[in-house]
Amino acid sequence: MNRPSVYLDYAATTPVDPRVAACMAECLTREGAFGNPGSSSHDYGDAANERVEAARGQVAAAVGAAPGDIVWTSGATEANNLALFGIARYYQTQGRHLVTVRTEHKAVLDPCRELERSGWRVTYLEPDRTGLVDPARVADALRPDTVLVSVMQVNNEIGVIQDVAAIARLCAAHGGVRLHVDAAQSVGKCAVEFTRWGIDALSLSAHKAYGPKGVGALAVSRQRGVHLQALQLGGGQERGLRSGTVPTHQVVGMGAAFALAATEWRDEAPRIAQLRDRLWEGMAALGGVLRNGEADHTVAHLLNVSFADVEGESLLAAVRPFIAVSTGSACASAVREPSYVLRALGRDERLAESSLRFSLGRFSTVAEVELALTTVERAVRRLRRIGGRPP
Amino acid sequence: MTYNELTRRHFETAAHAGLLTGPGTRRGAAGSRAQGTWVQFDLLIGAVQVCATPVMGANRQLAGLSNQIESSSDSRDTLCAVRFQAFGCPHVIAVADWVAQQSEGSEARPALPESVAALALRFAVPTEKLGRLLLIEDAWIAALAPPSLP
Repeated sequence: MNRPSVYLDYAATTPVDPRVAACMAECLTREGAFGNPGSSSHDYGDAANERVEAARGQVAAAVGAAPGDIVWTSGATEANNLALFGIARYYQTQGRHLVTVRTEHKAVLDPCRELERSGWRVTYLEPDRTGLVDPARVADALRPDTVLVSVMQVNNEIGVIQDVAAIARLCAAHGGVRLHVDAAQSVGKCAVEFTRWGIDALSLSAHKAYGPKGVGALAVSRQRGVHLQALQLGGGQERGLRSGTVPTHQVVGMGAAFALAATEWRDEAPRIAQLRDRLWEGMAALGGVLRNGEADHTVAHLLNVSFADVEGESLLAAVRPFIAVSTGSACASAVREPSYVLRALGRDERLAESSLRFSLGRFSTVAEVELALTTVERAVRRLRRIGGRPP
Repeated sequence: MTYNELTRRHFETAAHAGLLTGPGTRRGAAGSRAQGTWVQFDLLIGAVQVCATPVMGANRQLAGLSNQIESSSDSRDTLCAVRFQAFGCPHVIAVADWVAQQSEGSEARPALPESVAALALRFAVPTEKLGRLLLIEDAWIAALAPPSLP
């Protein structure tokens, strides 16, 4: 593999923080807490269980939840599936309608489509051109048979932050419609107040916050008496909501990562925002460059940009040897599909395809941003020249 | 998407990208930017002996050269210079560049140096993209189509 020199795809995944890796390593080998945390018949199990419960407390604290709210999963995708199917199936006698947003992650949209196939009605809200959803639009969509609203807090492509606290208030005012929030991109990037805001279920991911892949959590509010039907049966772990041996090293890694995120994000965000702003100012000077998402309501680390008069696949191919970024198109086959998120914002097919998502992180530096900027400038100018448009 | 070495090389250099202007030049285009692929070829056609003129550097404007060409519609006319512009994926840019490179110095005829199928194999172009190679062929044929009668 030709490793690109600059990693700017932190929204896809982050490297595990060395401090987190050290905690995880303590749970793997014979000398460490390797036992099955469900084995209460010996000290090995108890030692592992102690670590698991400490991690549960760390994750809960990072999002303003109670430790007992946290249900470990394999990641945010499983958490989203558990929340949507679990809540829908438990409360289906009260109604079969749910509300979500057109720009949600596929891990929410695909379960919604599956629920539609089994007779549910789903209202898909359109965001405005900045990617934000007016909470009043959510209120307008609520019906007597609505049992669930699902809205992501931070959009994974454009980084806009939805006002989930306001949406939670509206759901509560509408007879207690349950609110699920996909917060996979939120931890370490913005405030998350699960209990205080009145969220019923919250999906979390470790690897977006310098933790390991393969672990996540669903916070399910006990205080609000939220129930859901389990999707996975077996040993009855995690309050019976998610059977299966808890992977100690994974959840310990998630706990450590979330503890670091909770203490460091407020210091980290201004530095990263400065880097992002430098990147944007440099690219904007090229002309024919459009920023996707509302700049004033976007997390610090993410910048999504469309480049006019440049073909998307060629742009990615030109920058790929130097920087690792994501594009506004999905490679479903050899022919790329423009991002449904950018299309929902009103970007035409060409602009959606010619967008790049730059996501910076804890280890990003000024030198990396300058190299990225130079790379993009050269690629755009060159492709515009080849394409017959003035550079 | 991965690209073979030939595709990467022609995409990265695109040595024949550019324009030709002046007498003796022909132009043909196909596709549209709005649809995602657009290709244009500029050809400078002249008699064989004139084409022995020293080769111009890549991407250089060749307008001056056209004044030295003995313009002719004879079928033995030669492509003295070929340039292209393309809005498209790396395969489109690479194939257009290769076609331009291969064609310089050869007889001017309304056919690519290789069939679309052969080009697809040479550049490892996925089946889903074959339509884009047909646009390259259309642009080439359009550039060599006989001038319409007044």
